[in-house]
Amino acid sequence: MTRSIVRLIDVATVIRSKNAGPLQITLDILFPDTASYEIACASSSLKAPALAERYEVALDTLSVIHYRPARAIKVVIDRALVAGTPGDSDVYGAQQHHPLLDIML
Amino acid sequence: MTAVDRLLANPPHATDELRILGASGQLGYGIPAEALVRGLKRNPHLIGCDMGSIDPGPYYLGSGKMATSETITLRDLTLVLKAARSQDIPLIIGTAGTAGAKAHLQSTLEMIRAIARSERLDMKLAIIHADIPRDLIKKMLRAGRIHTLGPIPQIDNAAIDRASNIVGQMGQEAFIRALEMKPDVIIAGRACDTAIFSSLPVMLGYPVGPAVHMAKIIECSSICCTPGGRDAILGTLEPGGESFTLESMNPIRAATPLSVAAHSLYEQADPFTVYEPDGALRVDDASYEAVNENITRVRGAIWQPASQITVKIEGAERVGERAILCAGSSDPRVIENLALIEQGVRDNVASILTDFITNYSIKFHVYGTGATQIFSRAKIKKPSEIFFLVECLADDADQAKAVAGVTKQYLLHHGFPGRLSTGGNIAFPFTPPEINAGTAYRFSFYHVMEVDNIAQLFPIEIEHIRGNVQVAAG
Repeated sequence: MTRSIVRLIDVATVIRSKNAGPLQITLDILFPDTASYEIACASSSLKAPALAERYEVALDTLSVIHYRPARAIKVVIDRALVAGTPGDSDVYGAQQHHPLLDIML
Repeated sequence: MTAVDRLLANPPHATDELRILGASGQLGYGIPAEALVRGLKRNPHLIGCDMGSIDPGPYYLGSGKMATSETITLRDLTLVLKAARSQDIPLIIGTAGTAGAKAHLQSTLEMIRAIARSERLDMKLAIIHADIPRDLIKKMLRAGRIHTLGPIPQIDNAAIDRASNIVGQMGQEAFIRALEMKPDVIIAGRACDTAIFSSLPVMLGYPVGPAVHMAKIIECSSICCTPGGRDAILGTLEPGGESFTLESMNPIRAATPLSVAAHSLYEQADPFTVYEPDGALRVDDASYEAVNENITRVRGAIWQPASQITVKIEGAERVGERAILCAGSSDPRVIENLALIEQGVRDNVASILTDFITNYSIKFHVYGTGATQIFSRAKIKKPSEIFFLVECLADDADQAKAVAGVTKQYLLHHGFPGRLSTGGNIAFPFTPPEINAGTAYRFSFYHVMEVDNIAQLFPIEIEHIRGNVQVAAG
């Protein structure tokens, strides 16, 4: 079987970020079908080491969870600064998905 | 006879269906009226609204103010109070006034009293307080019974004293205690959003797992649908209570198995578990099936009671007064030399302010260069235009404005090698470009506290409002 390399942004139906409480950011990537979800789950670029490097955070501050009922990959990252503390740049954490957008699967 | 009296006189048992209308996930931002009216026609046993959240940040808990405008908050409260009172349905509102501290509860109650007068509504109100006594927190801290919930420092006695407000998130225990007092309306301070909706079915003996799972979904109104939205949603626990169905009261919003399952992800670090004061909901084995194209049936969530009751405590403290400067630039040399310019301006500002203002901070949020990003900025493309939002903090408002004003002038005229723009480095969209932005707060607490006597922590008072009795003026 040959698998062509695809851009995450072309296959995912949702790529979003949001606070999960004021101490963490959660990124949700949702897929339209089982085939694309399985490709994404297997891709090294959506595993914790690659994502920690991409986000420039320590590996032990990031976790990846596969949630099959929604064909979703969830990434949770600790915030260095508690949400809304002066100097924070995204109180709701809703714009932290940008580094995911050029991922290739 | 109150609404809860009437409900409990002939209560639905676990063998009947129980209908709960989730009227709003964020009361005060404009509840869609049409879907609410449609929901009322389904004869719900309870109407629930969430009115707050920690998401808008520390300002509201710190200041005691609401995030929503008075006009729209009054509109929404009027809508749900009239709906509930006109059909004598119990109404529960949780996390009153955005953050659920005493000041938020008081402003919400004042609005409710005013609405009762103008709409001539009678009601028996149960008011549940959520402020946590500082002495108790100090005692529990000494006993090692306060735990951090992530990357936030442990609190100490000084932080407990500095916090302007400290609230605890009440769970279903507090709401059940309030329901047992048989009011028409329950207004709660800081509360778990689930507890608003799960307390009635749990009190009536429905299985806890599905009741809490349904509550977790309908507390966000129709967000769990596709397309998601803010319309009222009907959650129906089916006879036996082992399953429930979800239906948006706006027919364009379909609750599908996928959209409902995906809701477990929303704003949650762990999609499999929902932690409550008295236990945890596990949805690992939950299943979702379509009843029709708009309605989904859910079953299989499991409730695990906790051996130790814990309450999440939230606190905010003042940091200083904030002023901001708004300006933009499209000069390529300015954009190329941002780091140099920022450092030069900081040095100049420091030399001017020395001996006058020593305790201040400046943060350059330079939009176009990754100012939205908390983590890596490596993927942000080089801009041809940028926006400076310079955040200045100081001990009082005048000092903060002074920091912003001096920063403005030095940023405008800062010289650097290769500079073309000797008329000025930045464009101001309006005048004055430096603006006082009020008091800055930060969350100093986001911890869990072990609790021995949960009922004492969230006291309830009863108030009878007789808006229908018009007292002669004079």
